[in-house]
Amino acid sequence: MSEKLQTLIIEDEELARNLLRSYLKDHPDIEIIGECENGFDGVKAINEKKPDLVFLDIQMPKITGFEMIELLDHKPQIIFTTAYDQYALKAFELNAVDYLLKPFSKERMQKAIDKVIHHIQHAETNIEKLEELSNFRPGEAYIDRVVVKDRHKIHIITVDKIRYIESLDDYVMIYTQDGRHMKQKTMKYFETYLDPKNFIRIHRSFIVQVDNIAEIQQYEKDSYVVILKDKDKTKLKVSKTGYKKIKDVLHF
Amino acid sequence: MFNNYKPMNHPLTNNYRLLLSYVLFWGVISITNIILQVFWYNVPLIYSLLDTGTNYVLYPLLGSSIWYSIRYNSLEEVSAGRLILFHFIAASILCAIWIYISFAIYKPFITEENSFLENGLPSKIFAGYLMYAIYLIFFYAVNYYQSLKEKIKKEAEYKTLLREAELQALKSQINPHFLFNSLNSISSLTVSDPEKAQEMVINLSTFMRYSLTHEQKEMVTFARELENIKLYLGIEKVRFGKKLNTEFVIDTNCLEAEIPNMILQPLFENAIKYGVYETTEQVTIKTICQCEGNILKITIVNDYDANSLQRKGEGIGLRNIRKRMQIIYSQPDLIKITDMKTSFEVQLIIPQKQPMS
Repeated sequence: MSEKLQTLIIEDEELARNLLRSYLKDHPDIEIIGECENGFDGVKAINEKKPDLVFLDIQMPKITGFEMIELLDHKPQIIFTTAYDQYALKAFELNAVDYLLKPFSKERMQKAIDKVIHHIQHAETNIEKLEELSNFRPGEAYIDRVVVKDRHKIHIITVDKIRYIESLDDYVMIYTQDGRHMKQKTMKYFETYLDPKNFIRIHRSFIVQVDNIAEIQQYEKDSYVVILKDKDKTKLKVSKTGYKKIKDVLHF
Repeated sequence: MFNNYKPMNHPLTNNYRLLLSYVLFWGVISITNIILQVFWYNVPLIYSLLDTGTNYVLYPLLGSSIWYSIRYNSLEEVSAGRLILFHFIAASILCAIWIYISFAIYKPFITEENSFLENGLPSKIFAGYLMYAIYLIFFYAVNYYQSLKEKIKKEAEYKTLLREAELQALKSQINPHFLFNSLNSISSLTVSDPEKAQEMVINLSTFMRYSLTHEQKEMVTFARELENIKLYLGIEKVRFGKKLNTEFVIDTNCLEAEIPNMILQPLFENAIKYGVYETTEQVTIKTICQCEGNILKITIVNDYDANSLQRKGEGIGLRNIRKRMQIIYSQPDLIKITDMKTSFEVQLIIPQKQPMS
């Protein structure tokens, strides 16, 4: 390799960072361009510095390594590091993205770097695999927060703040109590990972939080609208199957 | 350790089979009595029926209420003198009622030439007291048997729970996340600070040994438990560095108090999980111990980031501790949880046999 890999370390524990740094110190192919202690700084640093390679811890305060991936404009090669997370391990088994189990040896790390170099030389990226990983929800069956990015700010939205979600081609618009946020995810994703006791897909284009429904009105014969609890009294169309789902959840 | 078990329900209404045996028993006695009186002593049938009815049907009906007189006078709690006095009065009242009703029934049938019913009065009074005594013994026996059964059941339940709690504690102590991350810290220290690495290996070993050894005794001194907690927090401190700050305010009089073993560690693990894991700021875990008379109070307070994920109710760790405390001390509410939005407080109240000063 002619040029060294521009490398970023994102890891919340100081000792773990020290270890990686000492492993990488005299590495001929690696140049460390920065270190971050948390996911917020990590997203910013990746988008600004556009590294070739990132060592990324999964368990971190505020946002996890997986959640970070959703927020990246620039997608580098990523080597995950984790101590123990049976769900994360499962996610890795499904993907070919490389990962290091802590504590790991220098030799094991070298193998991961070789793999990355191979990827780069063959012009392969693991972006698709990363997308897959970010769709994988480790741990709980249902998500309890969503991370979104507006320009330069990252918002963490706990799901109870979501009023409804509208589909916009390849994106969705998430309406919360304080505003709206765009996110590149499918309706299917939210339908699957939001608890169906609280969120109903009432229409091809809408998922609504049950507690946020004020009224259900008949619109035409066989078609309904829900009216939400907000000052604008937002009306959303309900499909035939959506109406059935509402009936099931609210028991009427 | 257990409160005396007091069954609330009458055993006859509570146990269908016992009721049936009771009815059958008195049924057989009644029929035998009628047969004897009518065919052996040539008593007219109507008188025999009256006699049998009052003795072996009416008394058993009234007598079943004797249960309540023993229900509230346990042998262990009331002195012998009071017990005898109480039962004598109760027996007298019961006999008076019984004889009054009996003679009210007899009245239309008492005639000059037949005094069979009337002559029976002294023996009837004697029989009334005697039967009261038999009932007393019977109900005390039933009560004793039921308490014993309940106690055995409770004890078995307690043992399973204790085992579960121990297992749970064991699980949380060798929480893989904790173990592997600590090992990773050690791996890092071997490069930068071998002496500290060695120290940490020793601390980790001591901590693991305490957690893995099957303690025969379920109670340990607070000092021992505290030592283990300090070890645990020490290990986590190496990992989290300045992010984790600990404070101890310990009344040294409390150190000899007895507490269930491994009851504290899950609380500190929670404090770290919800406090330190989820924030980038420094988190202080404060431990305050006070003793007031027969009570040891342990309070654990940790800051947490109000913007992070909220705890969803009571986790399995807290629930297990609550359960275990309730079983050991037979008292509810020995664990108090207060969420103050930026800090989280768990308080354990541990009753002691002797007051501490």
